[in-house]
Amino acid sequence: MHHRFRPRRLARAALTVALAASSLVVAACGQYPNSIFHSRTDTNRDVGFLFEILIWFGSIVFVVVEAILIYTLVRFRRRGVARTPEHVHGNTTLEITWTIIPALILVFIAIPTVRTIFRTQAKPRSDALQVEVIGHQWWWEFRYPQFTMRSPTGKLDTVVTANELYLPQGRTVSFTLKSQDVIHSLSMPALSGKRDLITTHVNYLWFTPDSAQETAYNGFCAEYCGASHANMRFRTFVVSPSDFQSWIAHQESPAAFTVPAPGQTAANNTAAAQAPGGAQPQVPAGAQVQPNRNLNNGPLSGRATGTNGPTVPSAGAPGVGVPANAAPGTQTAVAQAGFIGFPRERMPAYTLPTTPVPADIQYSDPFGDPSRGAQLLMQGKGACLGCHTIRGNPSMIGQIGPNLTHIGSRTTLAAGLFPNDARHLALWIKNARKMKPGVLMPTIGVNEYDPQLGTTMKVGLTDQQIADIVAYLQALK
Amino acid sequence: MATTAAVPTYSGTSEHAETGLWSWLTTVDHKRIAALYLGTSLFWFLIGGIEATIIRAQLAFPNGKVVSAQVFNELFTMHGTTMIFLVVMPLSAAFFNLLIPLQIGARDVAFPRLNAFSYWVYLFGSIFLNVSWFIGSAPDGGWFGYTPLTTLAYSKNLNIDFWVLGLQILGVSSLAAGFNFITTIVNMRAPGMYFMRMPIFTWMAFIVQFLIVLAFPVITIALIFLQFDRFFGTNFYEIAQGGDPLLWQHLFWIFGHPEVYILILPAFGLVSEVLPTFSRKPLFGYPVMVYSGMLIAFLGFGVWAHHMFAVGMGPIADTVFGVTTMLIAIPTGVKIFNWIFTMWGGVLRFTTAMKFAITLVALFTVGGISGVMHASPPADLQQTDTYFIVAHFHYVLVAGSMMGLFAGVYYYFPKFTGRLLDETLGNWHFWLFFIGVNLTFFPMHFSGLYGMPRRIYRYDAGQGWELFNLLSSIGVAFQAVGTIIGFWNFWRSSKVGAIAGADPWGAPTLEWSIPSPPPDYNFATIPTVTSRYPLWDVKSPALTADVPPGVVDRGRGRTPPTIRIPTARELGIPMPNPSIKPLFAALFMTLMFASLIAIHKDKVQLAVALVIVFAGALTASLYAWLLTPLEDEH
Repeated sequence: MHHRFRPRRLARAALTVALAASSLVVAACGQYPNSIFHSRTDTNRDVGFLFEILIWFGSIVFVVVEAILIYTLVRFRRRGVARTPEHVHGNTTLEITWTIIPALILVFIAIPTVRTIFRTQAKPRSDALQVEVIGHQWWWEFRYPQFTMRSPTGKLDTVVTANELYLPQGRTVSFTLKSQDVIHSLSMPALSGKRDLITTHVNYLWFTPDSAQETAYNGFCAEYCGASHANMRFRTFVVSPSDFQSWIAHQESPAAFTVPAPGQTAANNTAAAQAPGGAQPQVPAGAQVQPNRNLNNGPLSGRATGTNGPTVPSAGAPGVGVPANAAPGTQTAVAQAGFIGFPRERMPAYTLPTTPVPADIQYSDPFGDPSRGAQLLMQGKGACLGCHTIRGNPSMIGQIGPNLTHIGSRTTLAAGLFPNDARHLALWIKNARKMKPGVLMPTIGVNEYDPQLGTTMKVGLTDQQIADIVAYLQALK
Repeated sequence: MATTAAVPTYSGTSEHAETGLWSWLTTVDHKRIAALYLGTSLFWFLIGGIEATIIRAQLAFPNGKVVSAQVFNELFTMHGTTMIFLVVMPLSAAFFNLLIPLQIGARDVAFPRLNAFSYWVYLFGSIFLNVSWFIGSAPDGGWFGYTPLTTLAYSKNLNIDFWVLGLQILGVSSLAAGFNFITTIVNMRAPGMYFMRMPIFTWMAFIVQFLIVLAFPVITIALIFLQFDRFFGTNFYEIAQGGDPLLWQHLFWIFGHPEVYILILPAFGLVSEVLPTFSRKPLFGYPVMVYSGMLIAFLGFGVWAHHMFAVGMGPIADTVFGVTTMLIAIPTGVKIFNWIFTMWGGVLRFTTAMKFAITLVALFTVGGISGVMHASPPADLQQTDTYFIVAHFHYVLVAGSMMGLFAGVYYYFPKFTGRLLDETLGNWHFWLFFIGVNLTFFPMHFSGLYGMPRRIYRYDAGQGWELFNLLSSIGVAFQAVGTIIGFWNFWRSSKVGAIAGADPWGAPTLEWSIPSPPPDYNFATIPTVTSRYPLWDVKSPALTADVPPGVVDRGRGRTPPTIRIPTARELGIPMPNPSIKPLFAALFMTLMFASLIAIHKDKVQLAVALVIVFAGALTASLYAWLLTPLEDEH
């Protein structure tokens, strides 16, 4: 096969291939959103430099070894009548040579390796943004302990979000990594190397995102953690410092939903009157919902406790002073608040989930009413309050699942699996276990089959009730 | 000089070489046990390959729907467990069994019945492990079984029970075989077979047995802790009770890294036999090959934590384990160069065995280079748990171990069966497998560097991974077709292959001085050895001059000549008697472990009763075994 080739030409060809391959690796980052060769943080630049050394030495060793091997195979293949080869048993000089050369190469690799180990594992800057990451089967909890506020009951709360990590450009972020259950591993290849989240052990990781570009990155769980390991993803948004301030201010505020006055609700519903199931009863607003609104206004005084917190933009207190005659829901307040979440239209294509929805969840998609949704949760319907917190909704104080206070401003659901829209949210509430195998979230839709229990749920929420809850959750910007 | 009394004829008859099922169940002949290991491990290779094919079918496209998340997790767990414990290790053991006694000039291993016991434990253990598929509880914790995921708190079903007990059973097999082979090599070498004259395969086998004997107790302890946690409520790893999941990781990898060398060194040994034969040259730098094998094994115990850089051990530990890992590259690199220079200046014959052996040299290098890349901890933090690692260890274990083992199968098949494998089919087997391996595993380097995590059953479109995953899946099809052709070759050639004769390759070592297949006593007269290449001393240079260019077809499809050679009894050679007792002991031991499963069916009393019954039966079998003399009185 190789007879036709001259060894030198072969070696040149091999070198060309190796160079092409390595340039492919470096040049092609655009198409590879999760590439480790993105150098948009200090850590990844250090690691990228190491990789350059490793890939170069590796390619050279590969080409040299394969070239000698192929040359040997071609040159010494059996031709015609066999001669008797000389029985060489070894050659000390040669053997010492090919012991020392690899050893020298390893020295050239080891020195920058050790330097990078100590640089990347040094103590982070003292003014770093602190983020506490808690791994759960199968979602991510991100807490910002430098940003705290008083809850209506006077408890000190921390800014907390799920599956979406916001980082300001140019500021070192220092992660404290913990796990609630099994071992997970925080992986955002375009930004940094991994670090495990271990139940009995606190880990640390830091890096500094560049100031170059505001964009979104994908994150993954990299340690096998059970049935839905593949479904444990997250998004990282690197935003400008002012947008980050604005986002934090919004996160510090309690649930943004204010119940529209009955008049508005009716007006709102006219559009939906034609929609299936649209002929809804009037919202029994008034007295029942009023406390909720008061709570929204309540924690203002506690804002000052955010010690390291940014100064809140004057309009940055969503839920505050929303005029009673404002547009439905809280849209106005949100608009005034400035940046409260990464704009959907700027989400890069690779951050938009493509997970298919199981075909066998039927949902009639009735029109939902947020006020009724709020009440259903207050009444404990669907048992949402057992696991979830909505700061501002006094009955929603569960601690097991993700905090839903600002779920409406998140871009994805179920740890990066689905887009956060009404349909996916409804399907998720109806039968989460079909959408994400093994998930702890129970099957809530009535008459839905629960694949973990192997039974059909006799009790649960109707499509209308789910639609109401979805409407409420979506309003929680 | 290597001399044997009965040389060039075919052995058709001998005292215990009856045919029939009973003869196989009771055999204590190391060559027959080798054949059992060979057949069983090749069967599991097919099963593990089917598991891999389903995995690749699922991952060929984004959001694949071939299998569910649970089944996918079971598949990758069982694929890894099967390929490591049920394929590469026992396939290596097939060669240990066949070759160690033949290469050192012995008539059998030191403990023939213990040898049979090892095989039966392996067989029953492998069946037990796979029975889990049929009751819908195949292990799903990964081949590494990290706690706390595998503790009762997070894995309530029987899946992990099968894994823990299965590995415990298989460990008994490996340990028993390890002690057996060490004793054989230390005590039973022929006169003049000094350590530094031993064939390099036996040397690597010797080193591997020490690795087994030192590494398997560690995983045994780790598994006992887990077994006790799961069945008896202890708290070694249970986090809710203050157990430490990292204890498992350290113990597992203190075993796990030497295990890597347990998997690769036998293949290195086989390649070191094949290359000199088909180069007509002695192994280049024999002493260095021996010492580098020892050094690799020794260093292999000091690098375990490089599997755990992401665990957060701190910069000092990262530095130490990173540097020790890099050191292993030096003796490994020396081996690569020594193999190349074994061929340099030789007369190379590209038989199928030779092609597989050269491929190990060429492609293990790729795995070695990527190995150095993750010896650098900061770089490893980007590689670990991505497909880059999957690419790396498949280059080591498929392009390395399996290529070497296939080289061994093609090279030693005539010694097993008396017949040569077909070279045309072998050529197809080789090239399809070669293309398939590269097409499957090379793109994984890219999917890994582009961020694809391991062990995910589905991934989003638009991540830049589609092309690489599709290529990998197409590659598996090539591997599958190549493997099927190879297995057809094994099956067909064992029936109608060309008659091999004692030494079809013109090879230098003792095993080729006796008939193929060898008589049950191997050597009529124990040879006296005076060099590393006794047969070449006898035959060279005259023989070297008329070495056939490839494989000469000497009577394809013909029945072997029925030249009768003397039986052991006629020669007055005492041979061990067949015995069914090792099989019973292995069976009862397996059942004793398996009985624990009843505990998790809430039948504690049943479990206790069964354990007592089977422990009693095991003890009785062992007594019966020990009270029966190995050989007849003479």
